[in-house]
Amino acid sequence: MAALAISSCGRRALLVDDNVINRMVVRKLMEEQGIALEEAENGKKAVELVKEGRVFDLILMDREMLVMDGPQATKQLRSLGVTTPIVALSADAMQSDKDSFLQAGADDFVEKPLSIDKFALVLTKYGLQDGQAADQ
Amino acid sequence: MEYSSLHRQLATMKKSFFDQGFLDEQFFQIEELQDDVSPNFVEEVVTLFFKDSLRLMGNIDHALEKFPQDFDRLDSLIHQLKGSASSIGAAKMKNECTVFRDFCDKENQEGCIRSFQKVKKEHACLRQKLENYFQLLRQVGPVAKATRSGN
Repeated sequence: MAALAISSCGRRALLVDDNVINRMVVRKLMEEQGIALEEAENGKKAVELVKEGRVFDLILMDREMLVMDGPQATKQLRSLGVTTPIVALSADAMQSDKDSFLQAGADDFVEKPLSIDKFALVLTKYGLQDGQAADQ
Repeated sequence: MEYSSLHRQLATMKKSFFDQGFLDEQFFQIEELQDDVSPNFVEEVVTLFFKDSLRLMGNIDHALEKFPQDFDRLDSLIHQLKGSASSIGAAKMKNECTVFRDFCDKENQEGCIRSFQKVKKEHACLRQKLENYFQLLRQVGPVAKATRSGN
């Protein structure tokens, strides 16, 4: 499943999460920031989107998903040459889970649920905050 | 004025949800996202949550019946439910899901079954409370703006 909201500001993000509630909340957060969002319900669909040529300024990647989980998807994306910042999302992750996600190629790890403040920090850190120039 | 009375009732109701531990800070986060563009965002998220959580609980019921010793499967399913509960700030539900996961870790089938009954109970309780809340909110109308203090 992929849904794209067109925005005029040129910033594009990909959310990879199997949870419909999380997707709804992040969708709204992105809309408020004017960031075009695509959604994938698992890692395999995220990899397919990239193979189709989609390019993103930021990827938010959930850890536990059916079909293909976050670390696996991250590893595959990196092996495809994707250099987009990948921010891992998870709740209750043990340190070993966080480490393995980062070792797979994620740039950062944020605890779920995603609050407005945490989201703003992520956007600022990766240059997607309104007014910042996005890294290409 | 009737409006003031309804507004106070609404605020008191919401405050009680937090005081009694049914909801946590994350619910405020959802409320903060409600605006003129999405004036019913909170109710939409909550409605989706209860629809999706019913589905997930059905899957767990099925798994407990057909695969009661498949603790990996049960853990994966409750993880999904916990994630949803956490996303809307359903604190008591989230906590009961954690208890369930602990029983999965210990491969305690009886514990899982007992715990899941509590998850369902918390779900039903929260659903009733929030249905009443939104019913009242609709009476108050779009002028009412959620406040953190509940006043």
